[in-house]
Amino acid sequence: MIAGLAFYFFAFILIAAAVMVVTARNPVHSVIWLIAAFFNAAALFLIAGAEFLAMILVIVYVGAVAVLFLFVVMMLDVDFAQLREGVQRYAPIGAVVGGILFLELLLVLSVWRFAPDAAALRMAPMPEGVTNTEAIGRILYTDHIYLFQISGLILLVAMIGAIVLTLRDRPGTKRQDVGAQIARSSAVAMARPELGEGIRREDILRPLPPPAKEAPKPVTHEGGHH
Amino acid sequence: MTQPLLAQYFPILVFLGIAGGIALAMVGGSILLARQKPDAEKLSAYECGFAPFDDTRRRFDVRFYLVAILFIIFDLEVAFLFPWAVTLGDIGWLGFFSMMGFLFVLTVGFIYEWRKGALDWE
Amino acid sequence: MLDIGLAHYLVVSAILFVLGVFGIFMNRKNVIVILMSVELILLSVNLNLVAFSAQLGDLTGQVFAMFILTVAAAEAAIGLAIVVIYFRNRGSIEVEDISTLKG
Repeated sequence: MIAGLAFYFFAFILIAAAVMVVTARNPVHSVIWLIAAFFNAAALFLIAGAEFLAMILVIVYVGAVAVLFLFVVMMLDVDFAQLREGVQRYAPIGAVVGGILFLELLLVLSVWRFAPDAAALRMAPMPEGVTNTEAIGRILYTDHIYLFQISGLILLVAMIGAIVLTLRDRPGTKRQDVGAQIARSSAVAMARPELGEGIRREDILRPLPPPAKEAPKPVTHEGGHH
Repeated sequence: MTQPLLAQYFPILVFLGIAGGIALAMVGGSILLARQKPDAEKLSAYECGFAPFDDTRRRFDVRFYLVAILFIIFDLEVAFLFPWAVTLGDIGWLGFFSMMGFLFVLTVGFIYEWRKGALDWE
Repeated sequence: MLDIGLAHYLVVSAILFVLGVFGIFMNRKNVIVILMSVELILLSVNLNLVAFSAQLGDLTGQVFAMFILTVAAAEAAIGLAIVVIYFRNRGSIEVEDISTLKG
Protein backbone atom coordinates (compact mmCIF):
# COMPACT_ATOMS: atom_id res chain seq x y z
CA MET A 1 0.00 0.00 0.00
CA ILE A 2 2.61 2.52 1.11
CA ALA A 3 5.02 1.03 -1.40
CA GLY A 4 2.40 1.50 -4.10
CA LEU A 5 1.85 5.14 -3.22
CA ALA A 6 5.60 5.69 -3.04
CA PHE A 7 6.00 4.09 -6.46
CA TYR A 8 3.51 6.45 -8.05
CA PHE A 9 5.05 9.43 -6.30
CA PHE A 10 8.62 8.64 -7.37
CA ALA A 11 7.62 7.54 -10.86
CA PHE A 12 5.73 10.78 -11.40
CA ILE A 13 8.70 12.88 -10.30
CA LEU A 14 11.04 10.74 -12.40
CA ILE A 15 9.05 11.33 -15.56
CA ALA A 16 8.52 15.01 -14.82
CA ALA A 17 12.25 15.41 -14.26
CA ALA A 18 13.00 13.56 -17.50
CA VAL A 19 10.66 15.90 -19.37
CA MET A 20 12.47 18.86 -17.87
CA VAL A 21 15.87 17.40 -18.82
CA VAL A 22 15.03 17.38 -22.49
CA THR A 23 13.05 20.61 -22.60
CA ALA A 24 14.90 22.96 -20.23
CA ARG A 25 16.28 26.06 -21.91
CA ASN A 26 19.39 26.20 -19.80
CA PRO A 27 21.63 23.09 -19.82
CA VAL A 28 22.56 23.77 -16.20
CA HIS A 29 18.90 23.25 -15.31
CA SER A 30 18.93 20.12 -17.44
CA VAL A 31 21.73 18.71 -15.33
CA ILE A 32 19.94 19.55 -12.10
CA TRP A 33 16.81 17.79 -13.37
CA LEU A 34 18.96 14.86 -14.42
CA ILE A 35 20.16 14.57 -10.83
CA ALA A 36 16.53 14.59 -9.65
CA ALA A 37 15.72 11.87 -12.18
CA PHE A 38 18.56 9.71 -10.93
CA PHE A 39 17.44 10.10 -7.33
CA ASN A 40 13.91 9.03 -8.13
CA ALA A 41 15.11 6.15 -10.28
CA ALA A 42 17.14 5.01 -7.28
CA ALA A 43 13.96 5.08 -5.20
CA LEU A 44 12.21 2.95 -7.83
CA PHE A 45 15.10 0.47 -7.75
CA LEU A 46 14.70 0.30 -4.01
CA ILE A 47 10.98 -0.43 -4.29
CA ALA A 48 11.81 -3.24 -6.71
CA GLY A 49 14.22 -4.66 -4.15
CA ALA A 50 17.50 -3.80 -5.88
CA GLU A 51 19.00 -2.22 -2.80
CA PHE A 52 22.62 -2.31 -3.89
CA LEU A 53 21.97 -0.88 -7.33
CA ALA A 54 19.94 1.95 -5.83
CA MET A 55 22.83 2.98 -3.62
CA ILE A 56 25.33 2.64 -6.47
CA LEU A 57 23.10 4.78 -8.64
CA VAL A 58 23.16 7.50 -6.02
CA ILE A 59 26.91 7.23 -5.44
CA VAL A 60 28.09 6.92 -9.02
CA TYR A 61 25.50 8.85 -10.95
CA VAL A 62 24.47 11.62 -8.61
CA GLY A 63 27.91 11.87 -7.09
CA ALA A 64 30.09 11.60 -10.14
CA VAL A 65 28.43 11.50 -13.56
CA ALA A 66 26.05 14.39 -12.94
CA VAL A 67 28.88 16.44 -11.48
CA LEU A 68 30.90 15.70 -14.59
CA PHE A 69 28.06 16.96 -16.76
CA LEU A 70 27.77 20.04 -14.61
CA PHE A 71 31.51 20.64 -14.97
CA VAL A 72 31.34 20.48 -18.73
CA VAL A 73 28.28 22.69 -18.98
CA MET A 74 29.89 25.29 -16.77
CA MET A 75 33.27 24.90 -18.43
CA LEU A 76 32.17 25.63 -21.96
CA ASP A 77 31.03 29.20 -22.34
CA VAL A 78 28.74 28.38 -25.22
CA ASP A 79 25.91 30.58 -26.35
CA PHE A 80 23.15 28.18 -25.36
CA ALA A 81 20.37 30.29 -26.74
CA GLN A 82 21.84 29.88 -30.19
CA LEU A 83 21.96 26.11 -29.73
CA ARG A 84 18.21 26.02 -29.29
CA GLU A 85 17.48 27.58 -32.65
CA GLY A 86 16.26 24.47 -34.42
CA VAL A 87 14.06 23.28 -31.58
CA GLN A 88 10.79 24.43 -33.10
CA ARG A 89 11.73 22.71 -36.32
CA TYR A 90 12.86 19.45 -34.79
CA ALA A 91 10.34 19.07 -31.96
CA PRO A 92 7.44 17.87 -34.17
CA ILE A 93 9.62 15.23 -35.81
CA GLY A 94 10.85 14.10 -32.41
CA ALA A 95 7.30 14.01 -31.07
CA VAL A 96 6.11 11.93 -34.02
CA VAL A 97 8.98 9.45 -33.76
CA GLY A 98 8.66 9.27 -30.00
CA GLY A 99 4.90 8.81 -30.20
CA ILE A 100 5.22 5.98 -32.70
CA LEU A 101 7.89 4.35 -30.58
CA PHE A 102 5.74 4.64 -27.48
CA LEU A 103 2.71 3.18 -29.23
CA GLU A 104 4.80 0.27 -30.43
CA LEU A 105 6.14 -0.34 -26.95
CA LEU A 106 2.61 -0.30 -25.52
CA LEU A 107 1.52 -2.70 -28.26
CA VAL A 108 4.27 -5.09 -27.31
CA LEU A 109 3.47 -4.65 -23.63
CA SER A 110 -0.20 -5.46 -24.09
CA VAL A 111 0.20 -8.85 -25.74
CA TRP A 112 3.39 -9.96 -24.10
CA ARG A 113 3.53 -12.84 -21.57
CA PHE A 114 6.20 -14.75 -19.72
CA ALA A 115 7.14 -18.07 -21.27
CA PRO A 116 5.58 -20.90 -19.25
CA ASP A 117 8.97 -22.29 -18.31
CA ALA A 118 10.47 -18.88 -17.48
CA ALA A 119 10.87 -19.75 -13.82
CA ALA A 120 12.86 -22.85 -14.73
CA LEU A 121 15.18 -20.92 -17.05
CA ARG A 122 16.47 -18.57 -14.40
CA MET A 123 20.25 -18.29 -14.33
CA ALA A 124 20.68 -17.21 -10.75
CA PRO A 125 17.59 -17.53 -8.54
CA MET A 126 17.61 -15.14 -5.64
CA PRO A 127 18.84 -16.93 -2.55
CA GLU A 128 16.79 -16.71 0.60
CA GLY A 129 18.05 -15.07 3.72
CA VAL A 130 20.95 -13.03 2.38
CA THR A 131 21.06 -9.35 1.61
CA ASN A 132 20.87 -8.06 -1.90
CA THR A 133 24.51 -6.95 -1.87
CA GLU A 134 25.66 -10.36 -0.73
CA ALA A 135 23.56 -12.13 -3.31
CA ILE A 136 25.03 -9.99 -6.08
CA GLY A 137 28.55 -10.50 -4.79
CA ARG A 138 28.16 -14.27 -4.90
CA ILE A 139 27.62 -14.35 -8.64
CA LEU A 140 29.22 -11.13 -9.92
CA TYR A 141 32.84 -12.22 -9.56
CA THR A 142 32.61 -15.90 -10.34
CA ASP A 143 29.70 -16.64 -12.67
CA HIS A 144 30.18 -13.44 -14.62
CA ILE A 145 33.95 -13.30 -14.45
CA TYR A 146 34.46 -12.48 -18.14
CA LEU A 147 32.03 -9.59 -18.08
CA PHE A 148 33.63 -8.38 -14.90
CA GLN A 149 37.11 -8.39 -16.40
CA ILE A 150 35.83 -6.71 -19.56
CA SER A 151 34.24 -3.97 -17.50
CA GLY A 152 37.63 -3.45 -15.89
CA LEU A 153 39.15 -3.09 -19.35
CA ILE A 154 36.42 -0.66 -20.34
CA LEU A 155 37.22 1.46 -17.32
CA LEU A 156 40.90 1.31 -18.30
CA VAL A 157 40.08 2.47 -21.81
CA ALA A 158 37.94 5.28 -20.45
CA MET A 159 40.72 6.40 -18.14
CA ILE A 160 43.44 6.32 -20.77
CA GLY A 161 41.15 7.85 -23.37
CA ALA A 162 40.25 10.74 -21.15
CA ILE A 163 43.91 11.38 -20.38
CA VAL A 164 45.00 11.16 -24.00
CA LEU A 165 42.18 13.42 -25.14
CA THR A 166 42.28 16.17 -22.57
CA LEU A 167 45.78 16.23 -21.11
CA ARG A 168 48.07 18.56 -22.96
CA ASP A 169 51.61 19.29 -22.07
CA ARG A 170 52.05 22.94 -21.49
CA PRO A 171 55.59 24.23 -21.78
CA GLY A 172 57.20 25.69 -18.74
CA THR A 173 55.47 23.62 -16.14
CA LYS A 174 57.57 22.73 -13.17
CA ARG A 175 57.28 19.21 -11.97
CA GLN A 176 58.99 17.40 -9.19
CA ASP A 177 61.26 14.62 -10.34
CA VAL A 178 61.88 12.62 -7.24
CA GLY A 179 64.43 10.33 -8.83
CA ALA A 180 66.60 13.20 -10.08
CA GLN A 181 66.32 14.87 -6.72
CA ILE A 182 67.60 11.88 -4.87
CA ALA A 183 70.32 11.09 -7.38
CA ARG A 184 71.72 14.63 -7.24
CA SER A 185 74.96 14.72 -5.28
CA SER A 186 77.61 17.24 -6.38
CA ALA A 187 75.44 20.34 -6.67
CA VAL A 188 75.14 20.75 -2.93
CA ALA A 189 77.70 23.00 -1.23
CA MET A 190 78.11 23.05 2.47
CA ALA A 191 78.72 26.44 4.09
CA ARG A 192 79.36 27.54 7.60
CA PRO A 193 77.78 31.00 8.09
CA GLU A 194 78.40 33.35 10.95
CA LEU A 195 75.97 32.95 13.75
CA GLY A 196 72.94 35.19 13.31
CA GLU A 197 73.87 36.43 9.85
CA GLY A 198 72.86 33.63 7.62
CA ILE A 199 74.32 32.86 4.29
CA ARG A 200 72.14 34.99 2.06
CA ARG A 201 71.66 38.72 2.03
CA GLU A 202 68.70 39.82 -0.09
CA ASP A 203 68.65 36.38 -1.57
CA ILE A 204 72.17 36.68 -2.93
CA LEU A 205 74.73 34.21 -1.86
CA ARG A 206 77.59 36.11 -0.28
CA PRO A 207 81.02 34.97 -1.16
CA LEU A 208 82.36 32.87 1.57
CA PRO A 209 84.87 34.75 3.76
CA PRO A 210 88.43 33.72 3.18
CA PRO A 211 89.71 31.36 5.78
CA ALA A 212 91.26 33.41 8.59
CA LYS A 213 94.25 31.27 9.08
CA GLU A 214 95.67 28.18 7.77
CA ALA A 215 93.72 25.22 8.65
CA PRO A 216 95.61 22.88 10.90
CA LYS A 217 97.08 20.04 9.09
CA PRO A 218 95.00 16.96 9.43
CA VAL A 219 96.68 14.44 11.58
CA THR A 220 97.66 11.48 9.61
CA HIS A 221 98.00 8.07 10.95
CA GLU A 222 100.24 6.34 8.59
CA GLY A 223 100.07 2.68 8.91
CA GLY A 224 97.66 3.04 11.76
CA HIS A 225 94.40 1.30 12.02
CA HIS A 226 91.31 3.41 11.84
CA MET B 1 6.52 -7.31 -6.08
CA THR B 2 6.77 -5.58 -2.72
CA GLN B 3 9.90 -6.53 -0.89
CA PRO B 4 10.19 -7.23 2.81
CA LEU B 5 13.30 -5.07 3.01
CA LEU B 6 11.21 -2.00 2.28
CA ALA B 7 10.04 -1.95 5.89
CA GLN B 8 13.58 -1.06 6.87
CA TYR B 9 13.51 1.92 4.55
CA PHE B 10 10.22 3.24 5.84
CA PRO B 11 11.91 5.63 8.34
CA ILE B 12 13.83 7.16 5.44
CA LEU B 13 10.58 7.73 3.60
CA VAL B 14 9.12 9.39 6.68
CA PHE B 15 12.27 11.48 6.99
CA LEU B 16 12.04 12.50 3.33
CA GLY B 17 8.41 13.46 3.80
CA ILE B 18 9.14 15.57 6.86
CA ALA B 19 12.16 17.23 5.26
CA GLY B 20 10.23 18.02 2.09
CA GLY B 21 7.28 19.30 4.09
CA ILE B 22 9.42 21.60 6.20
CA ALA B 23 11.31 22.90 3.18
CA LEU B 24 8.10 23.56 1.29
CA ALA B 25 6.54 25.24 4.32
CA MET B 26 9.53 27.53 4.75
CA VAL B 27 9.89 28.57 1.13
CA GLY B 28 6.15 28.70 0.48
CA GLY B 29 5.48 30.56 3.71
CA SER B 30 8.04 33.20 2.96
CA ILE B 31 6.63 33.62 -0.52
CA LEU B 32 3.06 33.90 0.72
CA LEU B 33 3.50 35.93 3.88
CA ALA B 34 6.40 38.28 3.24
CA ARG B 35 5.89 41.49 1.36
CA GLN B 36 7.69 41.26 -1.97
CA LYS B 37 9.05 44.46 -3.43
CA PRO B 38 11.82 43.40 -5.78
CA ASP B 39 13.94 45.94 -7.58
CA ALA B 40 17.04 45.65 -9.70
CA GLU B 41 19.38 46.35 -6.81
CA LYS B 42 17.80 43.73 -4.57
CA LEU B 43 17.77 41.08 -7.24
CA SER B 44 21.40 41.52 -8.26
CA ALA B 45 23.98 39.05 -7.07
CA TYR B 46 25.37 40.06 -3.73
CA GLU B 47 29.11 39.86 -3.65
CA CYS B 48 30.30 41.39 -0.40
CA GLY B 49 28.94 44.78 -1.26
CA PHE B 50 30.64 45.43 -4.58
CA ALA B 51 29.48 44.73 -8.09
CA PRO B 52 30.30 41.24 -9.41
CA PHE B 53 33.62 41.14 -11.22
CA ASP B 54 32.51 39.15 -14.23
CA ASP B 55 30.14 36.54 -15.56
CA THR B 56 29.61 33.30 -13.69
CA ARG B 57 29.99 31.34 -16.88
CA ARG B 58 33.69 31.44 -17.43
CA ARG B 59 35.98 28.88 -18.88
CA PHE B 60 37.99 27.11 -16.26
CA ASP B 61 40.86 24.80 -16.54
CA VAL B 62 40.40 21.45 -18.22
CA ARG B 63 42.38 19.79 -15.47
CA PHE B 64 39.42 20.02 -13.10
CA TYR B 65 37.53 18.00 -15.65
CA LEU B 66 40.28 15.40 -15.86
CA VAL B 67 40.20 14.98 -12.10
CA ALA B 68 36.42 14.51 -12.25
CA ILE B 69 36.75 11.78 -14.89
CA LEU B 70 39.39 9.94 -12.93
CA PHE B 71 37.15 10.22 -9.89
CA ILE B 72 34.31 8.48 -11.77
CA ILE B 73 36.56 5.62 -12.75
CA PHE B 74 37.78 4.99 -9.24
CA ASP B 75 34.30 5.52 -7.85
CA LEU B 76 33.11 2.61 -9.97
CA GLU B 77 36.08 0.55 -8.91
CA VAL B 78 35.09 1.06 -5.27
CA ALA B 79 31.48 0.27 -6.14
CA PHE B 80 32.64 -3.11 -7.43
CA LEU B 81 34.64 -3.67 -4.28
CA PHE B 82 31.64 -3.53 -1.90
CA PRO B 83 29.89 -6.82 -2.79
CA TRP B 84 33.27 -8.48 -3.11
CA ALA B 85 34.23 -7.47 0.41
CA VAL B 86 30.90 -8.69 1.77
CA THR B 87 31.06 -12.12 0.14
CA LEU B 88 34.77 -12.84 0.12
CA GLY B 89 34.24 -15.85 2.35
CA ASP B 90 31.80 -17.47 -0.07
CA ILE B 91 33.33 -16.95 -3.47
CA GLY B 92 36.64 -18.69 -2.94
CA TRP B 93 39.91 -18.20 -4.74
CA LEU B 94 38.29 -17.64 -8.12
CA GLY B 95 36.42 -14.63 -6.79
CA PHE B 96 39.53 -13.38 -5.05
CA PHE B 97 41.74 -13.57 -8.12
CA SER B 98 38.97 -12.23 -10.33
CA MET B 99 39.00 -9.05 -8.28
CA MET B 100 42.80 -9.02 -8.24
CA GLY B 101 42.82 -9.09 -12.04
CA PHE B 102 40.32 -6.24 -12.12
CA LEU B 103 42.39 -4.24 -9.69
CA PHE B 104 45.55 -4.99 -11.67
CA VAL B 105 44.02 -3.64 -14.87
CA LEU B 106 42.96 -0.46 -13.12
CA THR B 107 46.34 -0.14 -11.45
CA VAL B 108 47.94 -0.21 -14.87
CA GLY B 109 45.76 2.76 -15.76
CA PHE B 110 46.62 4.45 -12.51
CA ILE B 111 50.36 4.08 -13.12
CA TYR B 112 49.87 5.41 -16.63
CA GLU B 113 48.10 8.52 -15.42
CA TRP B 114 50.68 9.04 -12.72
CA ARG B 115 53.54 8.79 -15.20
CA LYS B 116 51.79 11.11 -17.63
CA GLY B 117 51.43 13.68 -14.88
CA ALA B 118 47.65 13.82 -15.05
CA LEU B 119 47.53 14.16 -11.28
CA ASP B 120 50.17 16.90 -11.07
CA TRP B 121 49.07 20.42 -10.44
CA GLU B 122 51.96 22.38 -11.89
CA MET C 1 -4.24 -0.41 -8.45
CA LEU C 2 -1.83 0.09 -5.61
CA ASP C 3 -0.29 -3.30 -6.08
CA ILE C 4 2.85 -2.58 -8.04
CA GLY C 5 3.67 -5.15 -10.67
CA LEU C 6 5.94 -5.59 -13.61
CA ALA C 7 3.65 -3.65 -15.95
CA HIS C 8 3.98 -0.47 -13.90
CA TYR C 9 7.73 -0.57 -14.17
CA LEU C 10 7.64 -1.36 -17.86
CA VAL C 11 5.35 1.58 -18.58
CA VAL C 12 7.55 3.97 -16.61
CA SER C 13 10.65 2.76 -18.36
CA ALA C 14 8.96 2.94 -21.76
CA ILE C 15 8.03 6.56 -21.10
CA LEU C 16 11.58 7.29 -19.99
CA PHE C 17 13.00 5.64 -23.10
CA VAL C 18 10.70 7.61 -25.39
CA LEU C 19 11.60 10.83 -23.61
CA GLY C 20 15.25 10.09 -24.19
CA VAL C 21 14.69 9.50 -27.89
CA PHE C 22 12.57 12.64 -28.08
CA GLY C 23 15.35 14.59 -26.36
CA ILE C 24 17.86 13.47 -28.96
CA PHE C 25 15.60 14.66 -31.75
CA MET C 26 14.67 17.89 -30.06
CA ASN C 27 18.12 19.10 -29.02
CA ARG C 28 19.80 18.25 -32.24
CA LYS C 29 22.40 20.95 -31.88
CA ASN C 30 23.44 20.58 -28.28
CA VAL C 31 25.73 17.61 -27.79
CA ILE C 32 25.61 17.84 -24.02
CA VAL C 33 21.83 17.48 -23.84
CA ILE C 34 22.07 14.61 -26.32
CA LEU C 35 24.48 12.84 -23.99
CA MET C 36 22.08 13.44 -21.12
CA SER C 37 19.28 11.92 -23.20
CA VAL C 38 21.47 8.87 -23.78
CA GLU C 39 21.89 8.61 -20.03
CA LEU C 40 18.11 8.69 -19.65
CA ILE C 41 17.75 5.88 -22.19
CA LEU C 42 20.32 3.77 -20.36
CA LEU C 43 18.51 4.47 -17.11
CA SER C 44 15.26 3.21 -18.58
CA VAL C 45 17.02 0.05 -19.71
CA ASN C 46 18.33 -0.43 -16.20
CA LEU C 47 14.84 0.04 -14.82
CA ASN C 48 13.61 -2.68 -17.16
CA LEU C 49 16.32 -5.09 -16.11
CA VAL C 50 15.70 -4.47 -12.43
CA ALA C 51 11.95 -4.88 -12.81
CA PHE C 52 12.31 -8.20 -14.61
CA SER C 53 14.88 -9.33 -12.10
CA ALA C 54 12.51 -8.59 -9.25
CA GLN C 55 9.57 -10.22 -10.98
CA LEU C 56 11.36 -13.43 -11.87
CA GLY C 57 13.52 -13.61 -8.77
CA ASP C 58 16.60 -13.82 -10.96
CA LEU C 59 19.66 -11.84 -9.94
CA THR C 60 21.26 -11.81 -13.37
CA GLY C 61 19.29 -8.74 -14.33
CA GLN C 62 20.75 -6.76 -11.48
CA VAL C 63 24.27 -7.89 -12.35
CA PHE C 64 23.72 -6.75 -15.91
CA ALA C 65 22.36 -3.44 -14.69
CA MET C 66 25.61 -3.02 -12.76
CA PHE C 67 27.63 -3.58 -15.93
CA ILE C 68 25.42 -1.15 -17.82
CA LEU C 69 26.10 1.45 -15.16
CA THR C 70 29.82 0.89 -15.69
CA VAL C 71 29.59 1.23 -19.44
CA ALA C 72 27.37 4.29 -19.16
CA ALA C 73 29.81 6.03 -16.87
CA ALA C 74 32.71 5.25 -19.21
CA GLU C 75 30.66 6.47 -22.15
CA ALA C 76 29.82 9.72 -20.40
CA ALA C 77 33.47 10.27 -19.50
CA ILE C 78 34.76 9.71 -23.03
CA GLY C 79 31.87 11.53 -24.69
CA LEU C 80 32.33 14.59 -22.56
CA ALA C 81 36.09 14.49 -23.10
CA ILE C 82 35.46 14.57 -26.85
CA VAL C 83 33.06 17.48 -26.39
CA VAL C 84 35.66 19.37 -24.37
CA ILE C 85 38.48 19.00 -26.87
CA TYR C 86 36.13 19.66 -29.76
CA PHE C 87 35.07 22.87 -28.12
CA ARG C 88 38.70 23.78 -27.52
CA ASN C 89 39.54 23.31 -31.18
CA ARG C 90 36.44 24.78 -32.77
CA GLY C 91 34.79 26.98 -30.19
CA SER C 92 31.40 25.38 -30.71
CA ILE C 93 29.57 22.20 -29.75
CA GLU C 94 27.04 22.08 -32.57
CA VAL C 95 26.46 18.61 -33.90
CA GLU C 96 26.35 19.82 -37.47
CA ASP C 97 29.89 21.16 -37.28
CA ILE C 98 31.12 17.80 -36.14
CA SER C 99 30.52 16.42 -39.61
CA THR C 100 33.78 18.06 -40.58
CA LEU C 101 35.71 15.62 -38.43
CA LYS C 102 37.89 13.28 -40.40
CA GLY C 103 39.77 10.13 -39.58
